[in-house]
Amino acid sequence: MKNTKAKKAFIVTCVTPATLLFVIFMIIPTIKVFNMSLYKWGGFSNTKQFVGLQNFKLLMSDSNFFRSFQNTILLITLVTIVTMAFALVFAAILSREKIVGQDFFRIVFYIPNILSVVVISAIFSAIYDPNNGLLNSILSIFRGKDATPVLWMGDQKIVIYSLVIAMIWQAIGYYMVMYMASMASVPESLYESANLEGAGRIRQFFDITLPLIWTNIRTTLTFFVISSINLSFLFVKAMTNGGPDGATEVFLSYMYQQAYTNSSYGYGMAIGVLVFAFSFALSAVVNVATKREPLEF
Amino acid sequence: MKKKTISVLLAAAMVIGTFAGCGSAPAEQPAAPAEEAAPAEEEAAPAEEAAPAEEEAAPEEAAAPALEGTVKVAAFEGGYGADMWTEVCAAFEASHPGVTVELTVDKKIEDVITPGMKAGDYPDVIHCATGREAGLTETLTKEKGLLPLTDVMEMTVPGEDVKVKDKIVPGFLDTLATNPYGDGVTYYAPMFYGPCGLFYDAGLLEEKGWTLPTTWDEMWKLGETAKAEGISLFTYPTTGYFDAFMYALLSSAGGPAFFDECMTYGEGVWESEDARKVFDIVAKLAEYTEPTTVANANNESFTKNQQLILDDKAIFCPNGTWLPGEMADAPRGENFKWGFTAIPAVNAGGAGCSFCWFEQMWIPAAAENQDLAKEFVAYMYSDEAAAIFAGSNAIQPIVGIGESLEGDNKLFYSVYDTGATAVMGGFAATAPVEGTTMADALFETVNSIVSGDKTVDEWIAAVSEVSDKYRAAME
Repeated sequence: MKNTKAKKAFIVTCVTPATLLFVIFMIIPTIKVFNMSLYKWGGFSNTKQFVGLQNFKLLMSDSNFFRSFQNTILLITLVTIVTMAFALVFAAILSREKIVGQDFFRIVFYIPNILSVVVISAIFSAIYDPNNGLLNSILSIFRGKDATPVLWMGDQKIVIYSLVIAMIWQAIGYYMVMYMASMASVPESLYESANLEGAGRIRQFFDITLPLIWTNIRTTLTFFVISSINLSFLFVKAMTNGGPDGATEVFLSYMYQQAYTNSSYGYGMAIGVLVFAFSFALSAVVNVATKREPLEF
Repeated sequence: MKKKTISVLLAAAMVIGTFAGCGSAPAEQPAAPAEEAAPAEEEAAPAEEAAPAEEEAAPEEAAAPALEGTVKVAAFEGGYGADMWTEVCAAFEASHPGVTVELTVDKKIEDVITPGMKAGDYPDVIHCATGREAGLTETLTKEKGLLPLTDVMEMTVPGEDVKVKDKIVPGFLDTLATNPYGDGVTYYAPMFYGPCGLFYDAGLLEEKGWTLPTTWDEMWKLGETAKAEGISLFTYPTTGYFDAFMYALLSSAGGPAFFDECMTYGEGVWESEDARKVFDIVAKLAEYTEPTTVANANNESFTKNQQLILDDKAIFCPNGTWLPGEMADAPRGENFKWGFTAIPAVNAGGAGCSFCWFEQMWIPAAAENQDLAKEFVAYMYSDEAAAIFAGSNAIQPIVGIGESLEGDNKLFYSVYDTGATAVMGGFAATAPVEGTTMADALFETVNSIVSGDKTVDEWIAAVSEVSDKYRAAME
């Protein structure tokens, strides 16, 4: 009896600080965001004007917002699918096959993850440079020297894909290392018996590796979707600032622009609320859609 | 037992650790501004050594109103550097015994002072221009958070016997860039100014034997000639630079009254014939724009566009007087020589125009020490302060200052002496309009015009629509 009481006291003492901090720094600000979205307010003065759902109504007819929404969804889907596919394939190759310089590749793939987004954007602005950039220089071998340069950061139809490539490049290594870790724990015996029964490498990947690391994939997928939303803001801010002419605006950069440079703090918070709801819903959908019976080994 | 003691100790350490993290935060916060202020004060110390010479000039009666206390000054560190601010503050302290200046200078001054301002801790004087990306000045204006400076203009400049308004070059106090609500009340004090216009390589024109175009027809002719030699007529750093460029064009097309109507969102003003001329010129210029310009027209790579001028790949680039300083270390040809000209006249026989850009200083309505703040603003127009600023090439609109200019500055500031009309102002302040800005509609669209994604008609329609929203917000 005494023991359980002491244990309870101990648990409460340990949990309270974290709970308090969580409430102060997470719950209360979130509620504040929801609250602020109902006001017309510039961000500084004491003259907050309650406007109810007016901000949301305006949002529904704001074509700039919808464009930023479209861009975000495009980024999330493309970046997620491509990154996950590459990360899985690379992880399978590096952990299942015997390749010379395995550790070297592992490090090389991981390096982009250590770099800050600003550094990455500087690297890519050098790659995408229309005149002396790496990409156009390589292309000029095939297209001839006098061909008009491709404007990777200037053509409104291409620029969003230029961002996609930079984001994929940055993310692959991290997820590859994660998948390699869980692939390492798949028992070797399973592969041996599959070998004996004549299953090829690809068959083994789909029938053994994938199902057995599925829980890991699920978790990383949710992480990834959320972090793509955040990262897209950083990349856009550092590389294009939403341009040219709003072609790469994503909803967090749009929210930032509205809240902090267009003196429409309340409106920005309304966008924040939608982003919050969207991220929440998306994670839930991803979670439900990827639900499988966990396999034990 | 021992194990239990250890685990309890560990748990206690964890709890304390968490609280320690929590506890140090508030302790750090007040420390931060002090730390920031510290280097400024340290820098001020050597500056004071330079001050005595000027100190003599400051008569004793300057301190007569017996203003005492601390005035908090926040200043944007532009291309002129931060040293002039520390010097000016030291000189202010020297001429006002008992007054301390707490100076914060930063390239991103908005980021430094905004958190404090949201918590109610306002600087007393802020030097931060309109038209900056963070829009702090605009936000405070829209929120009616500024102190009228009408009485500052009536004050006598400390240490002198002239009124502030009489020292300021006529015209500077009659614009929307000083009276943002268009009601004749001054809220911004005009500080460092500079003409904006087209920069070019004068050496290139000499070498090729081309004459500087003074009309747009001549401009298009030069465009064709240059095209034959593989040189583009035009480039721009980012679309943000089209503000000064288009303001000058608008004023040249329809005169000052028309320009003011544009700036106050007059009904149908963007669909008018005069506005159409401006849109058409920019659209035609887009055809002559260096093809890679759009790809580099962002904050990351805009210097590559400016480099096009130095490399003789493009002829003209709209910019302000800070450009030569910004590109001081960039490689260039042997014959390169900075040239600067006003925007050619839109109507035949009209005068060229140059937008006169200036930075503003203002006092937040929530400033604690308003009397000292006003004294500080008035002091900015003293000969003593102006000399310090001019030492860093920061030129204030003070009567008679033009005579002391030398070097490149002489060329830039003489643009108005050679016939170009000065255009001043900017869009009138309104209540915030959600989801759109005039700058986005009017300037950012240029990228789409150059890349061919939008037509001039679409552009005009979009600008009119946004302008209508702002007109509604103004009323």
